Amino acid sequence: MPDGASPAQAVLEALGYAIFARTENGGLRSLGKIPPWLAALWPAIQKNDDCLPLGEASPFLENFLIDAEECWRKGADQQIKSGPWVERDASGAAVELEATALTTNEQALLILERLGEAFAAKKEVLQRARETLIAQQRLNSEIQKKEILLHCVADEMSAALANVITSLRLIEQEDSGPRTRALLGLATRATQEQQTLIHRILEVFEGELRGVHDSAGDRSVAGWSKALRQAIESVAPLFEEKGVKVDTSAATVAVRVTVDPIQLERVCLNLFENALERSRSGDTVVVRAEESAETLLVSFEDQGAFVTPEMRENFFAQWSSPNDASSASALRLHFCRIVMENCGGEIDFDSLPAGGNRFWIRLTKSTGA
Amino acid sequence: MIQKKVCLLGTSGVGKTSLIKRFVDQSFSEKYLTTVGVTIEKKTVELDNNSVSLVIWDLAGDDDFQRMQTSYLRGTSGYFLVVDGTRRVTLDQAMELQKRVADQLGSAPFLLLLNKSDLTTQWEIDEARMTGLTNENFTVLKTSARKGAGVEEAFTTLAQRMLA
Repeated sequence: MPDGASPAQAVLEALGYAIFARTENGGLRSLGKIPPWLAALWPAIQKNDDCLPLGEASPFLENFLIDAEECWRKGADQQIKSGPWVERDASGAAVELEATALTTNEQALLILERLGEAFAAKKEVLQRARETLIAQQRLNSEIQKKEILLHCVADEMSAALANVITSLRLIEQEDSGPRTRALLGLATRATQEQQTLIHRILEVFEGELRGVHDSAGDRSVAGWSKALRQAIESVAPLFEEKGVKVDTSAATVAVRVTVDPIQLERVCLNLFENALERSRSGDTVVVRAEESAETLLVSFEDQGAFVTPEMRENFFAQWSSPNDASSASALRLHFCRIVMENCGGEIDFDSLPAGGNRFWIRLTKSTGA
Repeated sequence: MIQKKVCLLGTSGVGKTSLIKRFVDQSFSEKYLTTVGVTIEKKTVELDNNSVSLVIWDLAGDDDFQRMQTSYLRGTSGYFLVVDGTRRVTLDQAMELQKRVADQLGSAPFLLLLNKSDLTTQWEIDEARMTGLTNENFTVLKTSARKGAGVEEAFTTLAQRMLA
């Protein structure tokens, strides 16, 4: 304990407090000895008297004392804090302080606190918070720039597709056989779908959509048979090229389900492409639709290799592995999952006992007309 | 000697402390260290036949985490509104802050500093916006605390206006 100091004073000093009382003539006098850290910081405040020049020692304190006077004038139960500030000692090292003005037992007091570990911890939190805030602002800015870029790219793609569609229609009008016309029709339709998708992407990034990522609660209704038929038409050439058959004899049920029609068609298309990817020439992909009171269960069965447990983990992930050939497949399945989640449906897969895999979706039947 | 109080205002991370370090110590640190509270620095500038002692108040960034106490602005002779030119949002925040403190600061001269001008590839404030500010009678200066560009000029210009 310092010489002549009461236990209370010693504790306060050890905690980094210096307490001053306002004198009758408006000056400030230290209650007890002036702590060594304060004397070292402001050499002009070495000797205690009734009029310590605290305001002269620090422009910050000079400013705060104006508010302190107002606080003392109001009397009891008043207290104001200066907020933290930094002074430099003779060596240039930072000394962090905070002042409090209050009145107790009719005595106006000024308390100077040398801020310690608690303040350091607060600073650390603020440091991290502000770094995060700045990083977030930069990220938002980067996203905006990417959105603009995406708009430009998507617009250019849309314009190019419009040219392709026009060309296909012109060829279709020329003298050609029924098979060529059918194929041109498919190509035209596929291209139009690409255009639709591009517009949807634009909508997503403009935040205006009720499309893929934001259609929760969307009460759109789709006809199952129509979606299946259109999906088959789109993928038929691909199946034919690979020598894989499609059996939909067990899938033709006239049911309406609560999902956006275009999204349902895309889901079917993706599941067909997924099944085709697993199939070999001569295989058959079987589509089944089973109705229950409230739902429609649709499954796409392939005869390909079993899905391994390792592969299972990556299914439906947005990016399974950028360099992996299966990442496109995973992205397709990820799209299916988002659509199913948004419309309140389900998607999953399992292995078939006789070999092959079964990817299935469960949709809610529409109760409306 | 004439003494003038100068404050640097702006949201966090725009480079207020770095500008002061550059002006007072001719130093710069790449590491971002947030200011909590107030730090006061002093530097004397020579203007014609006058020596002006600038008492520079480095105020913590005004943001969602900490609001600036307007009592700190008492007695301010001039101030800088500091903006990070690579974050457009900080300009909007500076404009809002200026409205908030307009009553407290009255007609005290001020300059708008678009800091981090060395980061040209990340710059987000276009010429049209700068022209708009100039048309609103803002004095806008580009500064780089890292390179020192425009810093001395900014403080000297403000000192001159405070004496005018």
